[in-house]
Amino acid sequence: MTRWIATGLRTGIKTTRFPAPAGLGDDGAPSAVACHWRRLTPATALAAAALCPTTAITATGSATSGELHFDLGACVLCGRCVREFPQVFAPVPDPRVAVRERGRLALHLRWDPGHPPAPAPLAQAAAVVRARAARLFRRSLHIRHVDAGSCNGCESELQMLSTPYVDLHRLGIFFTPTPRHADVLLVTGVVTRNMEAALRATYAAMPSPKLVLAAGVCAVGGGSFAGGPMTQGPLDRCLPVDVYIPGCPPTPQALLHGLLLAMERAEDVPSPGTEGDDGP
Amino acid sequence: MSSSLRALAEAAGLRPVPVADDELHAHCPEEEFTDRVAALAGPGVLADLFATTAIHRQARLTAVLQLPGDVSWLVVDTTLRGGAFQSLTPAVHAASWYEREIREMHGLEPTGHPAPAPLRLHAWPAGPPPMGTGDPVAHVAPMLSPPVARPTIEGQGIFQLPLGPVRSGPQEAAAFVFTSGGEDLVMVSLRLGYKFRAVERMAEGLPADRALLLAERLAGTSAFANALAFARAVERAAGVTVSPAAERTRTCLAELERVRSHFATLARLADATGLLVAGAQYGLLVEELLRAAAALTGHRYLRGSLRIGGIDASCDGPARRRLQGLVAGWARRAAGLRSLLGETSIFQDRLETTAVLEPSYADLHNLVGPSGRASGADRDSRRDHPYAAYAAARFAVPVHHGGDAAARLQVHLEEIEASLGILTQLLDGWPEAGEPVAPPQLQEGVALGWAEAPGGEALALVELDAGGRVRRWRARPPAAVNWHPFAHACRSGNNLTDFPVIEASFGLSHAEFDR
Repeated sequence: MTRWIATGLRTGIKTTRFPAPAGLGDDGAPSAVACHWRRLTPATALAAAALCPTTAITATGSATSGELHFDLGACVLCGRCVREFPQVFAPVPDPRVAVRERGRLALHLRWDPGHPPAPAPLAQAAAVVRARAARLFRRSLHIRHVDAGSCNGCESELQMLSTPYVDLHRLGIFFTPTPRHADVLLVTGVVTRNMEAALRATYAAMPSPKLVLAAGVCAVGGGSFAGGPMTQGPLDRCLPVDVYIPGCPPTPQALLHGLLLAMERAEDVPSPGTEGDDGP
Repeated sequence: MSSSLRALAEAAGLRPVPVADDELHAHCPEEEFTDRVAALAGPGVLADLFATTAIHRQARLTAVLQLPGDVSWLVVDTTLRGGAFQSLTPAVHAASWYEREIREMHGLEPTGHPAPAPLRLHAWPAGPPPMGTGDPVAHVAPMLSPPVARPTIEGQGIFQLPLGPVRSGPQEAAAFVFTSGGEDLVMVSLRLGYKFRAVERMAEGLPADRALLLAERLAGTSAFANALAFARAVERAAGVTVSPAAERTRTCLAELERVRSHFATLARLADATGLLVAGAQYGLLVEELLRAAAALTGHRYLRGSLRIGGIDASCDGPARRRLQGLVAGWARRAAGLRSLLGETSIFQDRLETTAVLEPSYADLHNLVGPSGRASGADRDSRRDHPYAAYAAARFAVPVHHGGDAAARLQVHLEEIEASLGILTQLLDGWPEAGEPVAPPQLQEGVALGWAEAPGGEALALVELDAGGRVRRWRARPPAAVNWHPFAHACRSGNNLTDFPVIEASFGLSHAEFDR
């Protein structure tokens, strides 16, 4: 046993700061895709929409007028738009991609004859920020995790949160084995018919105030399984969601940002559209 | 080599037609199917049995067989006239769960099956079965008769303890019912299928390169291997050739995934026994493997790198030297941890004689992967049916006969060494620049694809239409086989507190089983 202790001590401190300095994070795994909309031509928009395997990029119209909807909440990070149109779509290495409002993951563009594409204002959904609840959880957070039908990618990343590289516990965040002790319900996977009842029962068993996190693109928007015959769709069709963490799966750093956002200890920074033309 | 399985098939009255050097197809009438497959499954191995139902087409049954010592696969199919077929289960035990799945998913009745209860559907409303839409023949059969009662044990002091489907930590959804008299685990009943997403059904009608995304999302922790099995099936069906350089890259990435998955299994096993330092050490290794995968392919779980006809991942000089350094470091640390685990008696005591799966049971269920190889099942598709660049690599396939958690640990430890050895051999030849992969022209065809996933042999049978769209994708990942004897292994004189160790030692994926 002493040799184990020696092994542990010899390893030293491995924990990465958050947000991780460049090169120390998840080694180049993008957490999102950004749209450089100023460089978007109607033809590119239509071609990118045809290329996208999910509903992350949808476009209607012609070369003269039309609309494009870009939604990170449906993006499985397959990278096809990035490979085909690198001048418009760029991978985002910054893991701070979680948001409190589903609409903030999306960008809507219109182009009219004689005008360059411009973002259309999105209808602002009523902000469901429960500030008081979040303040209560600022120091410590207990998570109840429910796998509502994932591929196990998200669970694998959640397990990585407890490894020394991330070490969730140093931030006062813990997984709890009972809903009665939980502050936040963290849900992964598209909600399957077989898991819906257990998911609702877990939420009901948690004391208020409580927060709900949708982790991974399946829980956020259905991902690859949106519209499947055996799924109930994204999580917010079943429960009120407070924080959305996109990604397929979200990296440990992105999960951490989502959790800190729920605790009001991190900023809600993302923007799926990039206005600058400095390029990818 | 292929003559022996072929000779066996001919002796069983089939007329097998070679569709590739290592793949035979045979068709037979419905009345003969069960007897012929049963005759072949004696000396051979029943690797898969599934149904295909589609709009305006008669339902079909397909069996996939292999023979130890023969590189060939044999695919036997038959067309059903009605909504029922003669059950194979009384003759071949391994067919039992496949037939239960056919019944619940396609609505086809396996006549003579001793216990055809649903496997993955819970409280499914009356209506068409999820995989059988549009087939008027299949719909004649009623969806589900009342479920067969689960066996129960009664007695003084005997109680039942449910666990799941919501688990205590970040784990996959599944439920277990333990029957116990206090300490001892008398019986474990499984309830699976909570994560059933109908992945195979969702792939139908999609172009192959879109269905590939679903294959990558069948299971996250074995994403590459399952997607490789799918991609290879598509390539074989459409006659697409893959360059040797791409095959080499695929092999390296598949081994990277295996090492990472095995390290994760060891981390869970260490945590289950309370050996937290070991758990943390293996956790570090898992994270480093994930980061290395991200550096190579842009994705921690290797998604998006595989293409139909090739692969998009390359390694220039400095990156390769960095990776070679990492591989050497992982091998050194894995060896150090292995020797420490061997000296830690409180760890070994928890594993020895825990959850014994006798070799006879492994045979009965045609077990695959590390769990099978720990119970004497000397099968590994990398060696038995060489694919990608495995023929060019030297590696040992560890086989143990104890069948307990300690034997499974041993197999995992030795396979990590073997896989890191394969990486060391193949990294030298890793192409510096990726080759552009033009989307190949696909054509109509049917073929089998396979890959050795971390949990064992993953099979995919893909049927493409003339436009290169998926007409049917049958995924048979390793967990679809290995969950079958799990409950039996739990019964071998274990305690309730052994369950986390048992579960970790098998390392079975729920996403793969539920699909």
